[in-house]
Amino acid sequence: MFGYYMQLALASFRRNPGLTSLMIFAIALGIAVCMITLTSYRAAANNPAGERGEILFSPSLDSWDPENAYDKDDKSLAPNQLTYRDAKALYASEIPDRKIITYKTGDIYTRPDKGMDPHYIGTRMTSRDFFAMFEVPFLHGGPWDAKADEGPEPVIVLSKEENEKAFGGENSVGKTLFWKGREFRVVGVLDHWEPMPKYFDVNNGAFQDMEGAYVPFAWGPILELGSHGNTNCWKTEIIDSFQAFLNSECIWFSAWVELRTADKQQAFKEFMDNYVIDQKKHGRFPRPLNNYLYDVDGWMKRNKVVQDDNKAMLIMAFAFLAVCLVNTVGLLLAKFLNAAPIAGVRRALGASRRDIFWQHLTESGVVALAGGIVGGILGVLGIWALRAWYGRFVEEATRVLPFDEKNFVIVVAIAVCAGLLAGLYPAWRIGRAAPASYLKVQ
Amino acid sequence: MEIRPILSSLLRNRAGAVLVALQIAITLAIVVNAVYVAQQRLSHIGRPSGLDDQNIFSFWVNVYEKDFDYLGMVNADMALLRQMPGIIDATPMSQMPLSGSGSSTQFYSLPDKKGEKAPANYYLTDDHAVKTLGVKLSAGTTFDPNTIEYKPDPDQSWAPTAVITAALGKSLFKDEPPLGKTFYDDQGHPIRVIGVMEHMQGSWVGWDKLDHVMLTPRINPDATQYAIRTAPGEIDRVMADVEVALRKRDPNRVIATPMKKMSDMKLQSYAGDSLMAVTLSTVTGLVVIFSALGIFGLATFNVNTRTRQIGTRRAVGARKRDIVRYFMTENWLITSLGVAVGCCLALAAGFWLSTEFQLPRLDLYYLIAGVLGLWVVGQMAAWQPSRKAAKVSPAMATRTV
Repeated sequence: MFGYYMQLALASFRRNPGLTSLMIFAIALGIAVCMITLTSYRAAANNPAGERGEILFSPSLDSWDPENAYDKDDKSLAPNQLTYRDAKALYASEIPDRKIITYKTGDIYTRPDKGMDPHYIGTRMTSRDFFAMFEVPFLHGGPWDAKADEGPEPVIVLSKEENEKAFGGENSVGKTLFWKGREFRVVGVLDHWEPMPKYFDVNNGAFQDMEGAYVPFAWGPILELGSHGNTNCWKTEIIDSFQAFLNSECIWFSAWVELRTADKQQAFKEFMDNYVIDQKKHGRFPRPLNNYLYDVDGWMKRNKVVQDDNKAMLIMAFAFLAVCLVNTVGLLLAKFLNAAPIAGVRRALGASRRDIFWQHLTESGVVALAGGIVGGILGVLGIWALRAWYGRFVEEATRVLPFDEKNFVIVVAIAVCAGLLAGLYPAWRIGRAAPASYLKVQ
Repeated sequence: MEIRPILSSLLRNRAGAVLVALQIAITLAIVVNAVYVAQQRLSHIGRPSGLDDQNIFSFWVNVYEKDFDYLGMVNADMALLRQMPGIIDATPMSQMPLSGSGSSTQFYSLPDKKGEKAPANYYLTDDHAVKTLGVKLSAGTTFDPNTIEYKPDPDQSWAPTAVITAALGKSLFKDEPPLGKTFYDDQGHPIRVIGVMEHMQGSWVGWDKLDHVMLTPRINPDATQYAIRTAPGEIDRVMADVEVALRKRDPNRVIATPMKKMSDMKLQSYAGDSLMAVTLSTVTGLVVIFSALGIFGLATFNVNTRTRQIGTRRAVGARKRDIVRYFMTENWLITSLGVAVGCCLALAAGFWLSTEFQLPRLDLYYLIAGVLGLWVVGQMAAWQPSRKAAKVSPAMATRTV
């Protein structure tokens, strides 16, 4: 029966090609706009950590100014970075299964044998667990060992892209790079790795470039490396040396801990609170106790990776789709009523009301499916055009608008559901019409 | 007027009319709010920067050899750059305005954190900054070349002089002219205003104190940017020349390429606003077209299904004018219903947007303009079908379809 309804639908399209194209075009445009906004929304709402996102946590402590909350729009929030002292204190805890502290810096590197043009390499200061916690893939070698974190030893891990720049892509494990008058030995080269959003450092820009090099954290204080990301301070302090800067209330560090059980999560939260209560005795942490332990999803929400603009545009797109659908309901109704005499003949020849209803609903579904597919294709073209236009403004245009075949499937499914919904009333209406009145005028 | 028969006819066949009205209602809600938000973003982007932002570019210069004479290098480079053809002036800068990166701190009109308090976005630079940035001084002068310090940031004290924007001066000194006045950092060090800039935007376009800018006469050791202002239209040629000239003068440092134009930094800083404005304008355009199509479609359908009725009316004496008026009035009634519902929807959506996304409340002029606009669009969309209806011959009354 379904096959027959399909045939009838196609015959009906041939009868009114103009009206049918208009309906398909209406749905397609609505779907295309939805697809574009959905793409940018889903790119920002993506959680690259997957299931591991539930056991990775970023602690946040309210070390801020007693007179002003850190975020004046949401006063309940604690700062999204840590002071050096607090980061070190959290890192000292034995509770987590894995733990890191990290910040972003960068400098000019050279090669001792002058085989490379001296150039700036964005560098992440972190510790060994970083690679396991964030499931970083290696091409050659591997992470440095635990000993290298403490020494610290002059070791470095390069990204695939940086290894191509510095060593022409060969296995560079064991070779050295020159930085700040010291030789750093390459222990590992990563495979291409670009989780987007860059969830372990969203406070410096969720779609920013990955770093080219990774170096043990303890080199930061030794080489006096400041942050190349955000640094925020609130307190009047004499900062006349790098050591004074490290001891200040300025925040520029992130910490991540892996806590595999609920007990450990609870224990670490208590550890954080006890630490702050203890620090209060030493005159620090003048604000009320206000600590958070965010999982990956919570951390991205707290840092508004999905911006209000993303949400507003998505809502606007679906409102537009609603207009397109109301339009389609009107057009379907007009089309079906125009063809009512044919339905009348079918009724007179024995088709039931239900048959007429299903026949017309099938027709709506086919229109919607066509609209969805055309809309999906228009959406892809739109994303492509928008990337080209937006790429003039920001380098990360392709990361903000990634091609994802899932989005295509989603919008086609939305189109079919919406089309069937739109067809319900017109199909019911035509099914209800009395056949006799139509037969009379023939 | 013949509203009653139109109404009763509408009520007998209300599904189509209700659909079009609903479409108009949602359209009004979308259009009014989208245009309002887009308009705000565009005016945000269009604010004057006070800078010659189309003719400036900049780049970082870093060194990697120990005990490199950085200040000597900056001075030699500046001397070279300032006499190159096409370059109006050049200056070292700690950060660039409109770039999204910068530093700010609090200042006070009295020592010991007393008096008026104001944040300032500060730039370490030299006596060529005013001319290089293209900012206008409304009072005072730029720095004396002999007062330029060579010290790192952060440091214990500020240079004793500064050039500030009039907006920063107003926050610190209220209505008194800022020239010659002294203000203080949080540790009570005095800074004297020697020049006042009419207007200049700082680093972060989303900051509400964007025009609170201070230039301080200092060069940051080991890392600074070179900012260069070119004659109009010369920027691309000059960028290429500068790279070659600096590399030739001394190859033992890193000149960060590609060099960045301030116009591109500005585009990047406003990228989100531009995207929002373009998306909203596109959706607005499409939604209006679709509403017009919907009205047109319904009117055409109504005319087609009523040819006998129209023929009968013509046969019993109705003029063409009356037929046109009938359909136009019918359309006006539907549009008005849609607009009435749409006003409520638009206000509700506007209220919701303003609370959920901290946007300013919808301006009612936009709503009025939207209502008038949709009335006009509705009448325009119904015009052709109405004319078609008027052409129906009275003889139709005697025929079957």
